[in-house]
Amino acid sequence: MEQDAQLVEQCTRGESAAWAELVRRHTRRVYNLCYRFTSQRQEAEDLTQEVFLRVYRTLASYRIEHGGFPTWLTSVTRNLLIDHYRRTKRERITDSIEDVLPQVEEKESAGRRPDQVALVDELSGQVQRGLAQLSPELREAVILRDLQGLDYKEIQDTLEIPEGTVKSRINRGRIELARILQQMGVTPH
Amino acid sequence: MIWACEQIEERLLDYLEGGVTAAESEEISAHVATCARCTPLVESVRGTVSAMHSLEAVPVPPGLTARILDATVGPEEQSRGWRSWLDWTRVMFQPKFAYGALTTLITGVVVSQSLGIQWRMPTLADLNPVKVYHFADSKAHLLYANAEKFVLDLRLVYEIQSRLQPAEPEQPSSPPQSGTDGHSEKAPKNPQHMNRVSISPLPQNEIACAFSDALERSDP
Repeated sequence: MEQDAQLVEQCTRGESAAWAELVRRHTRRVYNLCYRFTSQRQEAEDLTQEVFLRVYRTLASYRIEHGGFPTWLTSVTRNLLIDHYRRTKRERITDSIEDVLPQVEEKESAGRRPDQVALVDELSGQVQRGLAQLSPELREAVILRDLQGLDYKEIQDTLEIPEGTVKSRINRGRIELARILQQMGVTPH
Repeated sequence: MIWACEQIEERLLDYLEGGVTAAESEEISAHVATCARCTPLVESVRGTVSAMHSLEAVPVPPGLTARILDATVGPEEQSRGWRSWLDWTRVMFQPKFAYGALTTLITGVVVSQSLGIQWRMPTLADLNPVKVYHFADSKAHLLYANAEKFVLDLRLVYEIQSRLQPAEPEQPSSPPQSGTDGHSEKAPKNPQHMNRVSISPLPQNEIACAFSDALERSDP
């Protein structure tokens, strides 16, 4: 976290190498958040680019007192995802669910047998399909907690909602996702 | 305290993540163990959470970082970063690249083996330009000689074949005289014989002449 703060400071002084390092450190996290939310690789890629553009323009407004850089970055990403969701809502209604099904992911699967890789890929695709059916409020809460590994405080800061609401959304999101997976005939253990 | 199913559903997050007291946890566990509604619910949520935790991060598409830097600081600025020159090497760590490289290597080995190329460790003497020139020159000459021999052999075979083939019968200028049944005398009587090639045997001395002629022509 300290390193992030240092890099941000260097960026504001105009050191482009520091910005490059900051982008390299956080591209994975932002891209994963975008992909898990949208279920579309290309959209996730475009949104990741848009997030960093926005961060680059508003970096001067970041204050470490308001929280860590990853939390701020997640917050920017989340706001952009919600904007994107609202913007594309009408288009999505006309789409069939098949159109938004994610492709099976190419996992980094070093040290795994091919059958294990296939199982993980299948499970990942099923979870992704289930997530796509959740409402955006529940989806973002579950993604931040269970896929991004944020704690309640970080989620609270990111979503700017009370901790009680954070917990309630995660709980409802998990229960709903479990039911969707059951309807899909998936029984994860 | 007696827990209702709805209450357990509301506190499920706390129950699974240790956010309830020990007494509450015991009470909930006791209820879940005997409740036909809560048992599958708790199991499926626990399984779903465990499945999500087991998922790995999706790999970042190659070139995305470079595109972001390009869109923000521009290509010139990002090239100043000391790590940027390593960006192109990232593609080499993709499984597809490794698979392609391995396939190419195996193909190269198989082809070189079939061509009779003997691989050995190069020595410093192999880099001598004179030696390299002589090696390339001899290989080129050998290749040319082999090709020339092949062409001459083909010519020889063709010559022999053309000598061995019987001369085509001349087309009669007048229509063949037909017999009572309207067919010539040499026409096959049986329809089964109509498509058969008639080979007339050549005398032994003609074949010998053809061979010697062809050898004389091919031998410079």
